[in-house]
This record gives sequence, C-alpha cells and structure tokens, in this order.
Amino acid sequence: MKALAGRVLVRWETLLVLAIIAVGIWSATLSPFFLTRANLLDLVTPYVFVGLMAFGLTFVVITGEIDISICSTLAASIVCFAQIFAAGVNVWAAALIGLCIAGGLGLVNGLLVGVLNLPSLAVTLGTLAAYSGLAFVVLSGEGVATFPESFTKYGGGYLAGNELPIALLVMLAFALGLGIVLHGTRFGRYLYAIGSNREAARLSGIPVTRVRVTVFVISGLMAGIAGLVYVGYFGSARADAASTSLLDVVTAVVLGGVGIFGGTGSMPGVLLALILVAEVRSGMQLANLSGQLQNIVIGVLLLVAIVAGNLISAARAGSRPAKLHRRRKGVRANARADTQVIADSNP
Amino acid sequence: MSLLELRNISKSYGGVRAVDDVSFAIEPGTVHALVGENGAGKSTLVKIVTGVIEPDDGELLIDGQPAWIGDAQTAYRLGIVAMYQEPTVFPDLSVAENVFAGRHPRSRLHTVDWRAMEDDAMRILRDLGVDFGAGTPVRGLGVADRQLLEIAKALSTNARLLIMDEPTAALSPNEVDNLFATVRKLRERGVAVVYISHRLEEIDALADTVTILRDGRHIETRPAGELTQGEIIRLMVGRSLDALFPKEEAEIGDVVFRADGLTRRGIFADISFELRRGEIVGLAGFVGAGRTEVARSIFGVDPLDGGRIEIEDRGFRPRSPRAALRRGLAYLPEDRLHEGLVQPMSISDNTSMAVLPAVTAAGFLRPRLERSLARRFMQQLSIKATSPAQVVRSLSGGNQQKVVLGKWLAAEPRILILDEPTHGVDVGTKADVHRTISHLAAQGLTILLISSELPEILGMSDRVLVMREGRLVAELSRAEATQENVIQAAAGVREAAA
Amino acid sequence: MIAHVRAMKPQELAAAAFRLREIGIVLALFVVIVFFGSRATNFLSVSNWQDIAQNVSIVVVVAVGETMVVLTRNIDLSVGSIVGLCGYLTAATLAHHPGLPIEVAALVAVAAGLGLGLVNGFLVAVARIPAIIATLATLAIYRGIDAEITGGKNITASQLPDHFLSLAGSKPLGFPALAWIALGVSILGAATLRFVPWARDFYAVGSNPDAARFAGIPAGRRIIIAFALSGSLAGLGGFLFASRFPTLDSGAANGFELTVITAVVIGGVNVFGGSGSILGVVLGAVLVATIADGFTLMRLDEFWKIFFNGFAIVAAVTIDALVTRRLQEALRRRRAALLVPPAAEAKA
Repeated sequence: MKALAGRVLVRWETLLVLAIIAVGIWSATLSPFFLTRANLLDLVTPYVFVGLMAFGLTFVVITGEIDISICSTLAASIVCFAQIFAAGVNVWAAALIGLCIAGGLGLVNGLLVGVLNLPSLAVTLGTLAAYSGLAFVVLSGEGVATFPESFTKYGGGYLAGNELPIALLVMLAFALGLGIVLHGTRFGRYLYAIGSNREAARLSGIPVTRVRVTVFVISGLMAGIAGLVYVGYFGSARADAASTSLLDVVTAVVLGGVGIFGGTGSMPGVLLALILVAEVRSGMQLANLSGQLQNIVIGVLLLVAIVAGNLISAARAGSRPAKLHRRRKGVRANARADTQVIADSNP
Repeated sequence: MSLLELRNISKSYGGVRAVDDVSFAIEPGTVHALVGENGAGKSTLVKIVTGVIEPDDGELLIDGQPAWIGDAQTAYRLGIVAMYQEPTVFPDLSVAENVFAGRHPRSRLHTVDWRAMEDDAMRILRDLGVDFGAGTPVRGLGVADRQLLEIAKALSTNARLLIMDEPTAALSPNEVDNLFATVRKLRERGVAVVYISHRLEEIDALADTVTILRDGRHIETRPAGELTQGEIIRLMVGRSLDALFPKEEAEIGDVVFRADGLTRRGIFADISFELRRGEIVGLAGFVGAGRTEVARSIFGVDPLDGGRIEIEDRGFRPRSPRAALRRGLAYLPEDRLHEGLVQPMSISDNTSMAVLPAVTAAGFLRPRLERSLARRFMQQLSIKATSPAQVVRSLSGGNQQKVVLGKWLAAEPRILILDEPTHGVDVGTKADVHRTISHLAAQGLTILLISSELPEILGMSDRVLVMREGRLVAELSRAEATQENVIQAAAGVREAAA
Repeated sequence: MIAHVRAMKPQELAAAAFRLREIGIVLALFVVIVFFGSRATNFLSVSNWQDIAQNVSIVVVVAVGETMVVLTRNIDLSVGSIVGLCGYLTAATLAHHPGLPIEVAALVAVAAGLGLGLVNGFLVAVARIPAIIATLATLAIYRGIDAEITGGKNITASQLPDHFLSLAGSKPLGFPALAWIALGVSILGAATLRFVPWARDFYAVGSNPDAARFAGIPAGRRIIIAFALSGSLAGLGGFLFASRFPTLDSGAANGFELTVITAVVIGGVNVFGGSGSILGVVLGAVLVATIADGFTLMRLDEFWKIFFNGFAIVAAVTIDALVTRRLQEALRRRRAALLVPPAAEAKA
C-alpha cells in the first residue's frame, strides 16, 4: 500500500503543488503585495477552520461515508460555548464543554450510521438541518462578541512580529497529528480497509462498527475545534457561522484526492488542496471577484476534481472510460456475476 | 434440428481448464439435466451460453446456425434466459411490472396500459399456477414466488431456452412440486429447460435427457430413462485416484473443538462434531448443503440460533470474527476475491490485516515488521510477486489465494477452517497449498477442510463429514471413504455400488 | 387484530405497509392541527389556511420534480438555487417587458430551469459524478450566477406589472390560484409517473439499477430526464415564488431545498429510490407547511422550523429502515419455518 500510495501521491500531489504554484503566479500578477512573506503566511488563516473540518471529514469519507452536517455542528457547538462562557464560566472550560457537545453531535451521526446502518447521506442531511436549527434556537438573539485575547489568539493572533499566524500553526499541528493517525496507526489502516471492502475487513476481525461510529465522533470533534478557531479569528460566535462553508470543505477533501467512494486518500493531499482553495479564493479577492462568483469557481473546481479522479482511475484500470464501461457492466450484471458463480463453486 | 448445440467448447482461466472440448445438443421441448460435481464446468458453460463470457474455442449453433453470443443482451434476444438461486427482481415494483419492466404494453395513446399489463401477467401467472395476484408488491414475495416470477418474465419474452441453476435449493417440498408442475408446462410449450441440480431424485422425476460433466469434460449425454442414480454418480466421479496427495503423518491428539447441536433456523440443524489436534477433517457436500454457513456461524460472521461450541474444553460464543480470532480460530472464506482480500492493498497490508495488534507498537504501524511478516509467508507459500508492496489485485488467482492463506496463518490459529482453498487455482499452486495444509497438521494445527473436490477431500482428510440439506448425514474414516460413498451420502442416494 | 395480521400472507403485509405511510401522515396532520388549533390564535382561521395553501403550493410544485430524481436513487440539492435564479429571471423579464403575458414569463422560468436541470443530469449520468456532490456544486454555481445577474440589486414589487402581482392574491373559485397550479402539477406529475412509460422506468432504475440495465432500460437517459424535470419544476416554482414574494434578491429561496427534501422524505419516497407516490409527497408538504405555520403563529423562532425539518428527515429515514428490516425479518422467519431439513439419515 505504501508503494502504491507513493505512486498515487506523486501524481495527485504533484498536480496540486503545480496548481498552487500556477495560481500563485497568477495572483502575483494581480498585486505586488501577493508575494510578500506576510501575505503568503496569512493566506490560509481565514480558511483554517475550513481545513480543520476537512481533516475530520477526510476520516469519514475514507471509510466510505459522508458527513454534510459538519458546518452545522460547528455552529451549534460554538453557540453553546458562547452561551456557557457568557454565563460566567471560564473560557477554556466553556471551550471544553463546546467540544464535548460537538463530539456528542458527531456521536449521534455515528450511532445512526454505524449501528443502525442508515444511509449517511440522508442522516447527515437531516442532522445538518437539525443542528443548524438547534444553533439558532440556543442563540436567540445576537452573537456573543467578547472573548478574552488569551483565547482568540489561537484563531486570530500572530507571532514573530505580527507575521506568523498562530492559526496556521494550529492547522499544521492537526494536519501532522491526524496525518500520523491516518497513515501510521492501526486505526488508520482500519479506515482504508473498511472503505475498500467492509466485508473483508469484518472477516479479518476489524471492529467495523466501533470504527464507523468513531469516525463520525472525530468529524464532530474537528468541527468543534474548527469552531473555536473560527471564534478566535472572526471574533464572534454566530448561529449561522460557517453556514456557507460546506462547499469549500467538500472541495478541499475531494480535490485532495480522497476518493468519494472510500478507501483512498491522504492527509497531505487534503492539506495541499486546502491551501489551493485558500489561494484561489484570495486570488479572486485580489481580482475583485465577488464572493458569489468565487463560489462558482470553487463549485466548478469541485466538479473538475471528481471528473479528473474518474478519468485517472479509469486509465489506471486499463479500460476505456464511461460509455464502453457501462455496456460491459450491463453484461456482467445479468449473470449476477461473481457472487453467484463463486457460490456455485465454478469453474 | 437442435435448439442449441455446443461444439468443442473450451474455456480456460489462467491455466485452469474450466471447460474442455465439450459438445452436446439441447432439443426444444425437453428437460435437459446438467449434472456434475462442483467445479465440473457447469457454471462456466452457463456463462458462455448466456453471453457473459466467451469461449476460447468451439462454436455454438442455434437452430443449426452458428451464433455468436457476445453479450447478455444478445442471449436474451435469442431467447436464452438464466435463472439463479437469487432471483433478479425489482423489489419495489409489483409483479406485473416486474414481468414487463422496460417493455410495458402500450395503449393507443402510447401510455402504459395497466389493464393489459396486469391481464397479460395474470394469464401467464395463472398458467403457472401461482396464487399471488399481479398487483402484489414483490418485496412481499418469498424466494419460491420470485422464481416463478422470473419464469413468468421469461415466458413473456418468449424465451426458448430456460436455464435453471439449483432452483430448488431454497424451496419447501410443496414449492418444489409446484415448480416441477411449472417446468412440465414449459416443456409442453416447447421450451427447452436446462436443469442444473445435484438432487438426483429430482432429475429422476423430471429430466428427459441427462448430460454429465466431470472436470470440465463432457462424459455422457443420454436419455434419462437409461440411467439410474447410481450410474449417474459413477459417471460423475469415475476418475482414477492414482494422483492422491502426499499427506504427512500427523499425530492426532486430544479433542480441541466440539460442536454440539449447532442450528441456524432454515439453514442448518443439529450439527455436532469434534475436531482433534493434528487432524484434517474434510467437510463434503453439494452447494447449498450448508457447509459454508456452518463455518461462518462458527466464526461469528453469521448468527447461531442454537447449539454449543467448546474450544479446548472451554465454552465459546461466536459473537464476532474478532472473538473467534482471539480463541484461536481462523476462517479462510470461499469467496477470496470479495471477502478474503482488500484488492487495492498490497500483499504486506493484506497479510497483516488480521494481526494488526501484533505488528503495531502502541497503535503505531511498524511497516518493517509487516514487510518481514509478508516476506516470511511469501517464501513459505511460494508466492510469486515482485515484492511485498505489490498490489494484490495484480496477482494471479492462485497467488491471491496464497496471500489469504498467509494472512490467516499469520494469526497463528490453532483451528483453521478452510473453505474451498484450492477453488479455481492451478495445479501447481494446488500442490503447494496441500503440502502446506498437511505440514500444518503435522505441526499440531487442527484443520476443517470444506471442499467440493473429492480427490482433495479423500486425499487430505483423516475423517470425512458429509452434509446434506443442512444436516450432517455421514461420518467416514479415511479408510472407509471413497468417492462414491461420499457422493452418495451427499446426494442422499442409497443404492449400492454395482 | 394481531392474530389477523399474523394470518395475513406476506404479500398482503407488504402491500399494507405501503398504504400505512399515507394514513400515518394524515393522522399526524390531525394531531398537529388539534395541537396548534388549541395553542395558537388564528390557526384555524380561513385566512391562515389560505396562507398555508400558498406556501404549500410552491413546495409541492418543486417537490414533484425532486421526487422524480429521488426515485432514481439520486438527489437534487440545487433546487433551492434554481428556484431563486428562475424567480429572479421571471421578475427581471417582467420588469423589462411589462406587457408580457404571465404565461410567457412562466415559460421563461421553466425553460431556464430545464437547462439547469439538464446540466445536473449530464453531470450525474455522463460525467459519473455522484449526485450529492454534483448538485452540491451546482447549488453553489447556480446561486453564484444568480448573484452575478442581480448584481447586488434587487427587484421590487413596484417594478413588476400588476397582472403578475395579482396572481398570488387571486382566488379563482375561492381557492388560491397558486394552489390550483400546485394541484394541476401534482395531478400531472402523478399521472406521468403512472402512465408514461419512461417515467415508470424511474422506479425500475431506483429499485435495482443493474436489473434495469439488463432489462434494456437506458438508465443514463432516464436519469437525465429526471433531473431535467426537477429543474423545470423548480423553474416553475421560481415563477410562483416571485409572484408570492415579489421583492427578490440573490438570497431568495436560500435553503429551500431542505424544505422540499423534507416533504419528499416524509411523504414516503424511499431515499434509496424505487418507491414513493405524489400523494404522499403532497401530504408530506402539507404536514411540513402546517407545522411551520403553527410554529410561526406560536411566535416560536423561525429556526424551530429548520430544526424540525432536520429531525423529521432523520426520523423518517430511521423509521422506514427499521420497518423494512422488520418486514424482511418476519419474512425470513416465516420461510425458515417452512423449510424443514430432512431427518438425519443413518450414518454410512
């Protein structure tokens, strides 16, 4: 797997790096300030929370599921955090409670999908709405806007003479930590196995149900952490926080090379993709493109990423794409192909 | 003129001759039984005739004309329809719609003519003698009714050749009678029915002609009246057993595994047996006898409704594969492609999959340990690959099987259940696998060998258990077991050898 | 009654389970009406019901289209954006050509929706992009296009011709015009799904895609048609939306897809495709709109509505899955009882 992963990473990651460079060049032509150190370091800061959510989502997608409720989980957890803090609790204690809530919301998803075996799309579509509504209900009124600087610096603070954003360090730390978990631990290997072939994983003694529930908890927790950074950066906790960010999160994951059907993907890829998304948005900002227009571009980027992924895996499998493939699938479908035949113990 | 004639059909899978120069003809308006052990080549022939695969050699003639069946659609158009144990239906649609899916009868306005559709469907169903209406949602239908539905669908498309693959496996005796009546009606209408079954009493009752295959070769095609069940068996297994496999002498020790009254409702009942250290126990029987199901229940994959298991004199509840592994059990599944391996992963990753706790330190993977583990088994089992990093998908079937075996050996089990370990594997690999199995037993492992290949069972086993229709019907010692009495027990035939 | 149920043949059981859904919704509706009727002032008034009818109408029109897509085992998340975009197009067209008959304006909206739907269809059927991702992307893309076209401005009622503005308020035969249109669309939709052959194929494709392909059904083409219909009806929904809320900016109908999908899921359309009825969807839309209206009248936060939608989706999917599983279990147990393995024979 390492060698194959090596080969895949070399292809996809290289493309991402090249894209990052290309977009960088384009942005530099738009403004002389782009290539300054301060600007480059600060490029990703407004999207750190997106990246953190993307890292969590990556775990879920690799196991073959999807979680579109993450942005709502973020909103719900920070709203609770803000209310608890406003009630007089120490900011760090309140943050911890907020994280627990985020994990709990993820647990709900995990139980419904992992234990009851409900389809993750439908479930997280429902919890997307439920958690969002919950957020608004908890925070009836205006957002809370005053948090101590000792807290907000993790989202919006800077080191080294105002140039190195702490949020960037936070994101890199999590990318590293989660990356090690994903690529270097037994748990990570479980994810890839379950995503590639759940039945074989189960037969190999892998605790499939437990793992599936856990990834949703991780997704929830990462949304909670993203929320804390969000509050630090934007300075306030609103019930509609991150409500428009789902597109960016999903794009970062898909563009990062994580296969939407599970079983493939890498953390470095998602990190690079996140940097690319941030760079594209900032470049568009420089070019004075409105936020909505930027969304169009990101949306197209998402579509292109999937199509590119399809084409690459088709090319690697040696068969010709789409149409011909479909006809052959129809052929195999009739004889109920392998399962039936194997059961019959052919040849 | 024959409806379908096969001339010199051959097909190989990576060195294994699945079908070897087979020729025979099927006449319209007959029930033509196709008989043979598992692995005789029946399924491959069906796949060729239904257009799923193409033969390497030979030709097919339909109504005397050469026909090229390149894909399933062509076969369909030629009137060739196959029915398998799992009927293909649209569970959410009604019976009438299932029959006419994609070909709805149209009214003058070009809309769906429900009345005509339901009437036509009812007519066909009534002809078949079913008791459910055309408006019934198919989700509520059991297997027997779904089979009849498939037959109705075939009739509505004017199928001329209907292939039924083990159709009575999941049917109650009443439903079997019903099916037979239906098959006879089909015959009257001039449809040719190819009936694949190992239940020789059914063949006695139903078939006009019998074709016997063995090891991919055509042995005989004769009118059913000329053959007794005993003769059919002799033709099915009549091979010389001079090439018996070298089995090492193993010291057989105490009982390590005891199963008592294992039951899974509707699938198997009252299975009791013992396994001893160093023993190789063969489990024989036809497909559908329940052998794999017993294994899966023992290993914790499927539930167990009743019975007791003891491993090394301590009770064992098969809650999950994990629990089974912890008690020293391992199970090599029948379907290695889909259940044994994670295809996109490397040999190394697959080999360590069941023993990850052993190759991790504090949760962290140790790739070097994994690789050396993989290399150890690659050497021991003679797995031909470029390196442990090679992706399993690119290996040959035989080597894939060895990787699966290696994975389970890595778990250092004390009791190893092998389900068709050399199925679809070339001769060289087969010998390797046998040598390994025999050696393992000599070292004190206990092996339960589920296999449909009689020479393998007879050559390897110290004892042979035979299952039929979900029950254990025979236990034969190595000395007692012969191809014939094993098959007789498996088929439920009491006729003495001539 | 239990004995009666136990005596029913499995096929009758399954058929009964189908009809259970619609009865369940009607019961729930009854409970809801009683609940809100006793708590909220004006809930049971005629004018309130006409309000509900107006709201429901737009949801129903779009939900009929969404149903087509969900039947094929896909989903269309972009309907909200299509409604907003086509609503704006309607208003813009009429603002610039006030003399235009409203039918033509409606046609413009539907045509635009058709185009947007076709794009979705191609992305899913030809480019093989999973529907959830494709329509998530087009949700953003179409909303972005909407924002670009509006250019930050909005169209106010004052710019629109009277004969259009009066549509929402008119009540031919005492029944709101919008409701008539919704009724017409529902009937047409139901008739299509029942009598038009390629529409029946939606059910087949969703129920068993492999079997559908083998039966010769061109699944790809059917999926494109389903998305095209969804887009067209969303376009019509946009037209209706503009007539009801004539002040439109680029945020119009934001999040509307959630309401629509809730109605569809509650209405009994299986998220895995293959089954569902327009009647159920209409009832589901009525239930959802009634509860939302009740919340508003009780002066509860607008966001309870969003929470409820989400909760309803999860509950509906859970209940459906559990019921199906129970049914399968019951069938399996009944089969097991029938299959009596032969008595053990004497050992050889």
